Amino acid sequence: MYVRAVPPTDLNKNTEWFTYPGVWTTYILIVFFSWLIVLSLFGSSPGTAWTVVHLSHFFVTYLFFHWKKGTPFADDQGIYNGLTWWEQIDNGKQLTRNRKFLTVVPVVLYLIASHTTDYQNPMLFFNTLAVFVLVVAKFPNMHKVRIFGINADH
Amino acid sequence: MITIPYLTALSTYFSYGLLFAFGQFRDFFRKIFDWWHASNLQGYAPICLGLEDFYTRRLYLRIQDCFGRPISSAPDAWFHVVERYSNDNNKTLKRTDKINRCLNLGSYNYLGFAASDEYCTPRVIDSLNKFSASTCSTRVDGGTTIVHKELEERVANFVGKPAAIVFGMGYVTNSAVLPVLIGKGGLIISDSLNHNSIVNGARGSGATVRVFQHNTPSHLEKVLREQIAEGQPRTHRPWKKIIVVVEGIYSMEGEICKLPEIVAICKKYKAYVYLDEAHSIGAVGKTGRGVCELLGVDTTDVDIMMGTFTKSFGSCGGYIAGSKELIQYLKFTCPAHLYATAISPPAAQQIISSIKVILGEDGSSRGAQKLARIRENSNFFRSELQKMGFEVLGDNDSPVMPIMLYNPAKIPAFSRECLKQNVAVVTVAFPATPLLLARARICISASHTKEDLIKALEVISQVGDLVGIKYFPAEPKKQQQEGKRTIKLE
Repeated sequence: MYVRAVPPTDLNKNTEWFTYPGVWTTYILIVFFSWLIVLSLFGSSPGTAWTVVHLSHFFVTYLFFHWKKGTPFADDQGIYNGLTWWEQIDNGKQLTRNRKFLTVVPVVLYLIASHTTDYQNPMLFFNTLAVFVLVVAKFPNMHKVRIFGINADH
Repeated sequence: MITIPYLTALSTYFSYGLLFAFGQFRDFFRKIFDWWHASNLQGYAPICLGLEDFYTRRLYLRIQDCFGRPISSAPDAWFHVVERYSNDNNKTLKRTDKINRCLNLGSYNYLGFAASDEYCTPRVIDSLNKFSASTCSTRVDGGTTIVHKELEERVANFVGKPAAIVFGMGYVTNSAVLPVLIGKGGLIISDSLNHNSIVNGARGSGATVRVFQHNTPSHLEKVLREQIAEGQPRTHRPWKKIIVVVEGIYSMEGEICKLPEIVAICKKYKAYVYLDEAHSIGAVGKTGRGVCELLGVDTTDVDIMMGTFTKSFGSCGGYIAGSKELIQYLKFTCPAHLYATAISPPAAQQIISSIKVILGEDGSSRGAQKLARIRENSNFFRSELQKMGFEVLGDNDSPVMPIMLYNPAKIPAFSRECLKQNVAVVTVAFPATPLLLARARICISASHTKEDLIKALEVISQVGDLVGIKYFPAEPKKQQQEGKRTIKLE
């Protein structure tokens, strides 16, 4: 019923909220409820609904984790302005529990989406592309790498 | 240690996610709208990058009427709050001429010196007539009057150190002294919940900054051992100097620092201790001398003691107390002493008079009464709130008590409902506190009477039921139990 919240040693207010209890559960619950909403709004088959959820999850997480840089407040005087949220989390330390969880979620969604559509072709291609881009973006070797200068600083 | 009900944590994350999503949508449409209507500032760079002021524009401005309320009287136990209204959904607020007389639960008025005092105010007015409102000069040029000299001696005496230096502003004391004490090649280890002035001063000094878990001496020891073993980054040479910065009472938690253990660890590893007593000087301890007196720590063990006069002494400014060599060094190098205007003489006289009242040197026992009253008031208020089922942080004897709210919607609800019933509280949200842990912070004063506190408790209890923040089960009232017992006997 009750959980304990220990204040973390992360000074970056943009990412320290991710270390408190309950975040992973909220993330999974939001994904599940959006599947229910898509299913009830469009009346499609469960497989198509999972594909829609998977692809919109790809767009949203790519935009907020790997595209937008900096923090939404000016208090820290712009020291994180060149880093995306993924590069800021856990102070830049790689392969922590949070990062491993966030890498597993798109893969699990991909497996569910492709299983429920029976691996049929147009959906399978887009799903595979989405999960490939997301997982590669989360590799430790891609820390602060900007391919072809896309999204680099001015 | 904060205990959150799990469902509350989930709903708080969901609420913030929803607010964030709405903010992003509105920003997206605003971008399209602005691109459509070309502006007349072609070629100029924007003042803010798009993402930087997102929090201020989309979250803070929605509940702006809960923050920054203007008042039109002295911040005593009861004060006048000016009413404001807004025509464009809180984007701009306009003042009216009407005022509300409200109970003040937000000012740092720990000993009641914020309003006119029978001993201090006549002397302050005399000093205003004699020395005028400002020295119009820095301390080094022509700004050191006899009031400043007396103030520095009295502060050093009060705190228990050989010498002290006084600055005009409390924030500046931290952010201008830390860069002077330590530079590149040094190490600052600060508590994770330290005040913004310390964070600013540490960043400005150029030293390496490491953070240890709030009030956990074992983690401090772990960080110290790790850092001493590794040495400076990249060169691995030994550190030139290590300073550990802690606060006496943490203003957002109301917790008292575990000073004896921290001082023992710093002695073992030969690090300096910098104690920021902004909220604890004058408010805790038997004679009001701060956490060192309360916890029984010898003042010679704490190397640098810093404090402010805004909270318990009813004035403005800050001080640093330490050994004679340290203060002499600061007088030669600290930019706040060399280039900033000296503290105003009436303000300095207020501090001197309030120290005299606290120590009983004005011939009455008002100081001791005030100290006893603030202790009783804080303990009474805290225990009553906990009995009602609120989650209240802070240790016993601490006059700061945050009541946890968590959900972002409960912040304006609590604030506005309390104001409707003429109780003014201060609510604090992200980014001053962590995202999940929004709270309403109550500061008890020695000038609150028992009736004031009981009225406040009633109002808070009603509003708490309405808003839904009684996260713990309430203790059953004693009278009901006695009633049941008498019925059983019959």
